[in-house]
Amino acid sequence: MLAGGGGGGGGRGGGSGGGRSWPSTTSVSASGKRIQKEMSELSMDPPPDCSAGPKGDNLYHWVATLFGPPGTPYEGGIFFLDITFPSDYPFKPPKVVFKTRIYHCNVDSAGNVSLDILKDGWSPALTISKVLVALRSIFTSPDAYKPLVPGIAHLYLADRAKHDELAGEWTLRFAR
Amino acid sequence: MVAAWKDQFRVFRIRDRLDSAMVSDSIPNASIALASSNPKDFAKKKRANRSAKLKQCKLDARREQWLSQVKNKGGCKEEVIGGSGKDGGPIRSENERGMPMEKLEIKPRVEEEIHLSSDSEFSPSNSPTSHSINFTASSRSNSSSGRSSSSSISNGCYSGIMSDEDEGDVGDDDCLDDWEAMADALAAIEDNHQKQENSQLGVTNQESGGTAVPRSPIHCQAWRPDDEFRPQSLPNLSKQYSFKLNSERGGSVWGRRNVGPVPTSCPICFEDLDGTDSSFLPCFCGFRLCLFCHKRILEEDARCPGCRKEYECDSVEGETILDGGSLTVRLARSCSMVTRS
Repeated sequence: MLAGGGGGGGGRGGGSGGGRSWPSTTSVSASGKRIQKEMSELSMDPPPDCSAGPKGDNLYHWVATLFGPPGTPYEGGIFFLDITFPSDYPFKPPKVVFKTRIYHCNVDSAGNVSLDILKDGWSPALTISKVLVALRSIFTSPDAYKPLVPGIAHLYLADRAKHDELAGEWTLRFAR
Repeated sequence: MVAAWKDQFRVFRIRDRLDSAMVSDSIPNASIALASSNPKDFAKKKRANRSAKLKQCKLDARREQWLSQVKNKGGCKEEVIGGSGKDGGPIRSENERGMPMEKLEIKPRVEEEIHLSSDSEFSPSNSPTSHSINFTASSRSNSSSGRSSSSSISNGCYSGIMSDEDEGDVGDDDCLDDWEAMADALAAIEDNHQKQENSQLGVTNQESGGTAVPRSPIHCQAWRPDDEFRPQSLPNLSKQYSFKLNSERGGSVWGRRNVGPVPTSCPICFEDLDGTDSSFLPCFCGFRLCLFCHKRILEEDARCPGCRKEYECDSVEGETILDGGSLTVRLARSCSMVTRS
C-alpha cells in the first residue's frame, strides 16, 4: 500500500532538498501520490478563475493564481499564492501565503491567510482545488468577524464603500 | 434420563435397519476415499493429521459441552437437532467423491457457506464434511430419513474429513477454513455460547458412531421457529436471514447503514482500496478510506475526514469476504487470517 511509485516527483524534490527540510522519498510516497493526483485533476478540471501547479520540480511547493472575481474591488487583479505541502499532507493542511499584496481583512501584510479550512477546519478529504475555491470565496465575502487585520475589518463593516475603494486601489497598484 | 436414552436407542435400531442398504452402499465409497488419499504427498497428509488433531480437540470440547447441556435440558431436543445435523453429511460427500468430477464437490460447500453466513453468530464448525454439508443435505431433502444415521457407522470418524482435505487445492482452503473455524469454535465455547447446538450435535453424533454410543435422531427436520419444544438457546435465524439478504443485495454487510458506492481508491492517499479496505466503513457518514489512512487519522485528531466528527472507537464490527463468489460474513477477528481472493 505504501510502496513507492507514486511519489516520483516528490522524491526528486526531496533528494535535491539539501538544507531544506523536504522529507525523503520513502516517507512521503503516500503524500507524493496524493499531490500528483491532485495536480492532474486540477489540470483536467480547474476551478473557475484559478490555476495552480508545482513551482519547479518540487512537488511539495506550488504556485497558485487567483483572478479577482468580477463585481468585487479585486476585479482585474491577478493574485499569486505560494502553497507549501507538509510532508504529512493530506493529514496536515497545506500552507498558503499570498505573494501579491492585497487589501483584505483576512490577509495580513505578510500574506498569511486566516481561513478556517487551512487550520482547525482542515480535513484530509479536502483538496487544493477546494482550498482555491474557498480562497476565491473570501474575495467576494470577507469574513470581517474573524479578521486577521482588524482595521480593514472595521472599515469593511463601518464604511463598505471606502473599504472597496481602498481595495480597488491596492488591486490596481499591486495586482496588475 | 435413562428412559430417554432407551428411547433413542430404539429409534436408532429402527433407523439402522432402514438404512442398512445405505451403509452397504457407502462403505466401498469410504474405502475408495481413503485409498485415494494414500498416494498423495506427505506434506498434505501431515497437515491433514494436524487438522484432524485439532478437530479432535474441537470435538472433545463440543462433546463435553453437549453432555453438560443434555444433563441440564433432557434429551428431547437432541433427537431432532441431531437429526438435522447428523444425517447424510458424510454419505453425501462420499457419494460425490465417487463421481468422476471431484471438483464439483466444492459446490455444496460454497452453498453452505452462504448458509453459515446467515447464521453468522455460530460460525464455529466448517469442518467441511462433518457439519457444513449436513445442513445442505437436510435443507434439500427435508424428510430424507433414508439417507440419515448410517453415516456414523459407515465411516470411522475422520476418514471422510481426511480424504476431503487431500483433494488437491481445495484442501488448502479447507485447512485455512478449519483454522478459522477452530478459532471461532474455541472462542464460542469459552463464551459458553449455546447457540451452536446444531453443529455440535451433528458432530457429536457422528463421533458417537465411532465410539458405539447409540444416539439417534427421530426425524430430520430442524426446529421451526414457532415450535414449542424448540430450545430457547437456539439462534434465531429470522434476523440473520434478513442480514444475509442485505449483504447479498447491497454488496455490503453494513445493512443498517445506508452507504454510497464503494470508491476504487482511497480518497486520502489515492492508493487502490483492496478487499479489506472496501469493506471497511469506519464512520456512520459513509466516508470510506483505507486502513492506513484511518490509522493515521486515529493517531492524530481522530476525526472523520468526511463529516469531521470524531471516530467511534468500536466502529469496526465485521467484514465481508468475497470468496469464490459467495459472500461470507465473519467476525472481524478472523478476517486477517483469510487469504482467499
